[in-house]
Order: sequence, then C-alpha cells, then structure tokens
Amino acid sequence: MIENFKINSKEIDKIKKISKTERDFRINNLNLFNEKGFPNKKQEDWKFSDLREIVQKNFKKLDVNKVNSKVKKINLIKDFHHNYIVIVNGELKSSNFSFEDKNRVRIKNFKNDNFLQKNKENSLVCLNHALSDKGYDVEIEANYKFKKALIIYNLFTKDLKENILNSRNKIKIGENSELHTIDLVINDSKYKFMNNVYENIILENNAVYKNICIQNDKNEGYFHKFSKSKLSSRSKYSAFIFPSGPKFNKLDLEFNLEGEDSECILQSASFLNKNDHQEIKTKMNHIAPSCKSYQKVKNVLGSDGKGVYQGKIYVKDIAQKTNAYQLSKALLLSDSSEFNSKPELEIYADDVKCSHGATSGNVDEDSIYYLMSRGLSRKESIKLLIDGFLNEVVDMIKSNSIKKFVKSKLESQIHGY
Amino acid sequence: MLEIKNLKASINNKDILKGLNITIKPGELHAIMGPNGSGKSTLANVLSGKNGYKISGELKYQGKSLKEIPIDERAQKGIFLAFQYPTEIPGVNTNNFLKTSLNKVRKARGKKELDTLSFLKLLKEKSSELGIDEKMLSRQLNVGFSGGEKKKNEILQMKILDPNLVILDETDSGLDIDALKIIADGVNSSRDKKKSFLVITHYQRLLDYIKPDFVHVLSNGKIVKSGCMELAEELEKKGYKKIN
Repeated sequence: MIENFKINSKEIDKIKKISKTERDFRINNLNLFNEKGFPNKKQEDWKFSDLREIVQKNFKKLDVNKVNSKVKKINLIKDFHHNYIVIVNGELKSSNFSFEDKNRVRIKNFKNDNFLQKNKENSLVCLNHALSDKGYDVEIEANYKFKKALIIYNLFTKDLKENILNSRNKIKIGENSELHTIDLVINDSKYKFMNNVYENIILENNAVYKNICIQNDKNEGYFHKFSKSKLSSRSKYSAFIFPSGPKFNKLDLEFNLEGEDSECILQSASFLNKNDHQEIKTKMNHIAPSCKSYQKVKNVLGSDGKGVYQGKIYVKDIAQKTNAYQLSKALLLSDSSEFNSKPELEIYADDVKCSHGATSGNVDEDSIYYLMSRGLSRKESIKLLIDGFLNEVVDMIKSNSIKKFVKSKLESQIHGY
Repeated sequence: MLEIKNLKASINNKDILKGLNITIKPGELHAIMGPNGSGKSTLANVLSGKNGYKISGELKYQGKSLKEIPIDERAQKGIFLAFQYPTEIPGVNTNNFLKTSLNKVRKARGKKELDTLSFLKLLKEKSSELGIDEKMLSRQLNVGFSGGEKKKNEILQMKILDPNLVILDETDSGLDIDALKIIADGVNSSRDKKKSFLVITHYQRLLDYIKPDFVHVLSNGKIVKSGCMELAEELEKKGYKKIN
C-alpha cells in the first residue's frame, strides 16, 4: 500500500530511446527515491510540511503511468495579446510565438543531457530525475527582447486520478535579452493527483526575466516544484507568485546570483483556506559581489489553512556589497490558522546589508471599526482588508492589463471566503 | 435628531461617561468642549457604535433607540463620525473605498447605486470644493497622508455620504490655519435645516469659523455647563478649571 510506496525499475524501461548513461542516472535516482520515500518532517527542509504523512493520509494509491493528455480546446486569455505554449499534464503540446521573430526563439521538448546532477537531500528531485520524460525547453537568443508576454498554460486534464506526474522544464535567456512569462495553472481534474516539477532558469549577462506564476484555481492537486535559477552579471529576475490553488503546494526555489550586479526580486501573495497547505522555501545564494535580492511573502490564512515560509539568504565570503532583504507577513483569520516562518541568514562577507522581518497577526480591529463606521458590514470590511493586504503585492506589477487580470483572479478566490 | 439621557459608559470597569444629557434638534450645531480625559472621544465612539463599552441610559436617534444597532447600520442610517485619528488602511484604494462606502449607504436608503462615472463626477466636485488633490484619492486609504490630508479626507467622506448627524471628533486638532478654514468651509456649506452637527473640540478657534448654536462643557463624564458662543469665549479666556 501507499505506506511503503516503491517504484519498480520497469517504469524506466518504458521510457524509450535512452542511452546507458541516462538509464544508469535514472536507475540511481530511482533507487535513492525508493530508499528514502517521500520526504518527512525529520528532514529540516520538510520540518513544517510532512509530505509522507500528507500522502499517506490522502492517497490510497499513486500511479506513475502516463495518462491520456488529449485536450480538444483551450480557452485562451483574451485580456491582452500574448504568445503562448500549452502544457498538458506536464507535456509540451503546442506553442505560438506569433508576436515574435521566430528565428530568435527556440522551443522543444525537454531532453536531459546532464547526468552528473545530484540532489540526495530532496527525494522528490530524485524521483523527477528518475522518471521525468516530458516538459519544455525554451531558449531565447542573445539581444532579443520579447514584444509580448509568453503565457505558459499548464493544463491538468480530468483523466487525472491518483497519478503522479513528473516533468522538467528549462528556460534560457541569452545575453541582453528579455522575456516576460505568465505561468497559469488550469485544472480540470476533480480528483487528487501529484505534480512534481523540476525547473531550470538561466539568465545570461544583462538578461531580464519577469515571471508571474498563478495557480489560483482551486484544485485537489498536490504540487511540488524545485526550481534552480542562475543569474549572470547584471541580469535581473523578478518573480511574482500567486500560488494558493492546490491542496498542497511546495515551491522550493533556489536562486544563484553568480554574476556581479545581478538582481533578484521575489514577491508572493496567497490566500489559504480550509486545509490548504502551502510552503514557499527559498534559497538566495549571493555568490558574486554587489548583487541585490528582495523577498516579500504575504499570506492570508483562513480556517485550518497552513502556510510556511522558509527563506534563506546565503552570502559567500567574496560577495561583498551584497544587499539582501526578506520580509514575511501573515494575516490569520481564524484560531485554527497556522503560519510558520523560518528566516535564515548565513553570511561570510563583512561588507553587506542583510535584513529580514516576519510578522503575523489578526485583522486589525481598529481598521474594521473604521470601515464599518462608513457603512460596510464586518464581513465586507474584513474582505476589503484581506484584499488590501494582498493587493500591496499585486500593485507592484507594472503592466496595467496584467495587473487587472491578476487582481480579478485573486479577488475571485477571496470571494469564496 | 439625537436625544441622550443619563448616558453612562464604561470600558474595562472604568467609568467614563457618568450620566450625560444632550438633545440635538435637526439643523442645530452643538459644540462640546472639555479638558483631556473628560470623555469627549468616548461620546463620539459610543454614538458610532464602537464595541467594547458597557452602556446604560437612553440613546435615541430619530426617535429610535440606537442600542443593539451595529456600527455599519448606524452609518447607513446617516450617522457619520469624522475620526480624530483616521485609520491608515494599506492596500485599499481611497477611490474604491469611497465608492463602496457610498453605495452601501445609498442602497440602505433605498437609492440606486452609483456607477463609476457618476461617482467620479461627484467625487471630483466634492474634492475640488475642499481643495483636495485628486492624486491623493488614487493612493491607499490614509496611508502616508499628512495630518491635514487625513482630516480633509474625513470631511470629503462626510460630504459624499451626506449624513443626517455628523460628529466631528477634534477634527481641528493638528491643522494649520488654511486647512482649518477649508474644513470649516466644508462644514458650513453642508449645514442645512435637516442636518445636525456635534462638534468636539478643545479650542475656540474652530468655533470662530463654525458658529455653534450651543456650546457645552464636558467634564468628568458629564455636561457641567451649557450656553452659547459666549461660553466658548469665556473658556478660552479662563480655562476649564474656573468653569466648574
């Protein structure tokens, strides 16, 4: 049963056309996963999100086999012009770059060629290395700025039921190039399933990458993503995350500021309700001098909602003139809401500016009083305050049409409160 | 409009109002003056319906008891409190808030809700009367507003919501002369036969611009003296101690 979940190596034989090196790499990783199983709270990184327990509680079985990934029609967003790629159950299905110079963009199915990677700590990464055989690989040539945003439609079909999907994606942005993406989850499955993603983002010198990740549609999915980003000199990465859709969601994000003067901004706003469990774990590695990082994570927690933020800032000895900031704010709406925050600073350079802060509390009664004295009911006042709390993040989005789109997504979620 | 008889209010077992009587008729403007800690703000809070007070006595608005009526319904029925310290509400856009508030009040009064266009027209008209920069209204509610801007915003809300009973809780404190005049003009232009005002203040200065019909002195939770404008002038000269 699920208590002792193991995957047979025959599953790897189902993956066609692989070299011996690749097969060995996959088998090694599979063995590591089978040895360790799903991560549990005994591991420091999973202290607040005991996935083993969560899986045992919620799944009777888990199927690693492929599922039908056929989709007839996708409702594209009409709010603004955009390029798009369509991913169905983790698999790249189609792409459209009609607003761009097609010679400067390359997209294909992800094919791994690096069999030296090791990540023994996170068994889900091992599982991904062992089984993932789909995903996208996007590469933008040097000196090319995207004219319109690229929406990545992540569809999950209604065929999904107790499946575990493993996919792997990569985005590489060439020197002096710029790309804006919107990651959008659309889920048609009414059942529980797991989605395990491994992501690589590479920014060459002076590259600019802006990403907005929206997983707001409520679903029964259990999501895990490990993302590793490389920032070269003077590159800029800005990420907005609105992750509160899946039942369980863990985003394990590693940013490596490897080039001088690179900059990374991460902002997140979530509304977690009714047994939702979400963790954002970040590792901001300042490896080169004069880099800047900024993290702001805001969570609103309803009854039995559980939120976790583990944010680590690491500053290498040579990374002088580092400027790193981290702030976590949580708004607790119920006695049964839970928020865990673990900020960590590991600094080996002496000329740096690093700061962090964390607050959590109830909705301010004085604010409720003020709004009620203007005719709003208590519930409306609280809703407006929640909205305001989260909108502080949304308001940082520069494009008005995208901001409006994100706001409507977020508001529809709060409306259910 | 407002009838208060033997009103007592306590918070955390501390008696603050100890048998207060006051009657305000439609069209009247009453000023309440009094030293620090005499219960002025408590009176304003109790009238608005703020939670946490233990109350006894009679509190009637438009002939009906206000007890058991929550804060939002009082506002919908036309009671407006201009706060001494307006609360800063991050993330909430001032414009949107004003519109939500107005439409709640209108709906409660059986009026049609205003669409964005007509609302903006009304807002533009009222804010220019008060010399409010429209940019201020696209900012977050009271966040980073100067003291004067916050108070002007309160008066703007009063103008937009068009209440029956207005309570100004030390709206004049912390204002420079120019802002004080603007606020006074805002109040004066709103005065009519139907509206009543209860102006709480420390100083006579505001009353030079807003001529009250009655002046009351509140001390130790009770009204100890009532009179006309002359009383305010006397207070300014002699101070509160000599009045008792």
